Amino acid sequence: MLRQSSRYWRLAGLAALLAGLLGPAGAALAAEPIKIGVTIAMSPPGSVSQGTQVRDGTDVAVKMINDAGGVLGRPIELVYEDTQGLPEKARAAVEKLITSDHVVALTGEHQSSNVLAEIEVAHRYHIPYINVNGWADAIREKGYVEVFNPNNYNTRVAVAMAAAMKALGAKRVIAFCENTDYGVGLAKGLGEQLKAAAPEIDYKYETLDRAGKDFLPALLPLRANPPDAVVEIMLPPAAYIVLNQLYEQGIAPSAKTWLYDASGIADYPDFWQNVGDGAKDMIVFGLYHPKMAMPELGKKVAAAYTAKTKNEPSRLLFQAADGFFVLAEAIKAAGSTDPDAMIKALEGIKWTGTRGEISFSSEKSGYRYHQWIDIPYVTFQITGVKQPMADTNLVQEAGKPLDVGKLQKPAM
Amino acid sequence: MLSLSLSLDLLVNGLIIGLFYALMAIGLSLIFGILRIVNFAHGEFYMVGAYAYTLIALAFGLSPWLTLPLAFAAGAAVGFVVERLLMRPLYAGYTSWGLMKDEYAVIVTFGLSLLLINLVDKVVGPYGYRGPSLVQVSRIALGPIMISGHRLIAAAVALLVIVAVALFIRYSFWGRQIRAVAQNRLGASLAGIDTAKASAIVFALAGGLAALAGALLSPIFNPTPDVGVFPAIKSYVIVVLGGMGSIPGSILASLMLGVLESFGAVYISYDYRDTFGLAILILFLLFRPQGLFGEREREV
Repeated sequence: MLRQSSRYWRLAGLAALLAGLLGPAGAALAAEPIKIGVTIAMSPPGSVSQGTQVRDGTDVAVKMINDAGGVLGRPIELVYEDTQGLPEKARAAVEKLITSDHVVALTGEHQSSNVLAEIEVAHRYHIPYINVNGWADAIREKGYVEVFNPNNYNTRVAVAMAAAMKALGAKRVIAFCENTDYGVGLAKGLGEQLKAAAPEIDYKYETLDRAGKDFLPALLPLRANPPDAVVEIMLPPAAYIVLNQLYEQGIAPSAKTWLYDASGIADYPDFWQNVGDGAKDMIVFGLYHPKMAMPELGKKVAAAYTAKTKNEPSRLLFQAADGFFVLAEAIKAAGSTDPDAMIKALEGIKWTGTRGEISFSSEKSGYRYHQWIDIPYVTFQITGVKQPMADTNLVQEAGKPLDVGKLQKPAM
Repeated sequence: MLSLSLSLDLLVNGLIIGLFYALMAIGLSLIFGILRIVNFAHGEFYMVGAYAYTLIALAFGLSPWLTLPLAFAAGAAVGFVVERLLMRPLYAGYTSWGLMKDEYAVIVTFGLSLLLINLVDKVVGPYGYRGPSLVQVSRIALGPIMISGHRLIAAAVALLVIVAVALFIRYSFWGRQIRAVAQNRLGASLAGIDTAKASAIVFALAGGLAALAGALLSPIFNPTPDVGVFPAIKSYVIVVLGGMGSIPGSILASLMLGVLESFGAVYISYDYRDTFGLAILILFLLFRPQGLFGEREREV
């Protein structure tokens, strides 16, 4: 008896010593993990380019949290599911994550059509959902209490684009959008904003298949009568092909026609291996630029990401990291993983993330519901082939108007 | 409103796309002619060529003109191996078409397609790559027509290869043997023709042609693992339109489909571009099921 008791105390002493040596991180590792579901496109036809950046951004953020001891003394475990960019697969993935993996919250999704499919399931099971990159206003208009949007939204881009088209003095504008909720929603949104801000501009949009390859027949009619600006509202890989084909046909960018990228794809790691001369002189709506002022957390995430991947940071990296960080903050504030407590904590959150102070609007109408309204954005122009982001021409700083005088018009 | 310069643009671009479709469809047609199976992995031969061309050129800094035959060789090698390893059970030990296991070919080629797509996705990665252009001239103006330098040169290469293949099938020793096997496998076998070798040559040629199409188009349609899916679907339509197993039919149907899609996208709707071929296919199946140059009866 005595010997048993003595062994017990020796083991307990050893455990205490180990716990002391490992500190809070060790304690967190020993505790039951908190599972978070992450849905991304890891294979075609989804945008794998986006999915990979979201995965890297989420991984970086989770490592930072786990290294610091986790949340509520528990480590975070991510459970990834590949949606292939297909709403039906996305819906099934979320169903599995909730019912089989028992995740307490969801994040990661980066395509609007998928977000729209996934939030139906999250809403049914009352699980908090962070929309990382679904821009479609329709996501917010659903009014689901579980869904929070610390990312960009179509109305914000449409307002920015309409102001840019007006500032450029364009008389005729044509948009090419992909056939998704995001693409068509943004193209329509631009039309509405132009009607309000610059009714003199003649605007139309054409829908292109996001799985398509040859867009020439849709572009050729512009050659004889080029517009003043072409707006591209597509995601890779189709977006890259459209940019190349617009350039090969001499349509845009040209001395007559501005090319405006509304999707913010110029900072994607595979951008320059897919787009050549066609990107030179392109004007880009950007959610990140190396010259933007960033909070300390943003700088740390950027450094960790570059150390891990050797790539330049991109906007999706920060969006993905913030998507996870706000969840972690909500769990901390709630003191538990109870959905109602987490939702309440998210509704009251005021927290400085990687891009600025994040808070969610409580206005229950339209696109503003549970939206971080004042997302910072910039506009920049690419002035050389294979140009690093830091060398691009920043023509609109966050919160300031577009400075048209800084733009460089293509020579031919 | 029909503008002359736009119509010329559409015609030329439709014909060029048609030439690339033809490179794909000829191989598919040859395979059907000799083995009477539909190769569901044909799009992946195209993908192999697109990746081989792009990755070899980028990794080793080779001239695209040197890389082009390597892409053809890669596709031909894959085609040859597929025939040797996976297609032989279709006819080995059998002398009658009736005994061939058609469902086996469907399952095997479909499985092969999925395997190759996922293999490339995992090994090479999901990111797209743009292949190097054959010429460094971005645009060439031919009167009112503007065309990318690479597209024009690639179309010329495709045309030359199509002519060479047609001459090979028509006049060469092995071309005649392939035609004999396509007409009557048992009869050709009785006449002393090595039908297994003919099948292997056809698969290698089909793989090489599809890979060449992929290589030529890689600077235009940046390769991704699923890049071969759409061209393969077009090829199935073309083979039926042209007449199953008919090479001239496949070439004509390819050019027709390219031009139809080009004009239809502008004058009807771009949204329905991929459905034009299917609509024509339904009409053919209703009123001329044997296609443009197909035969109503093949048995002798």
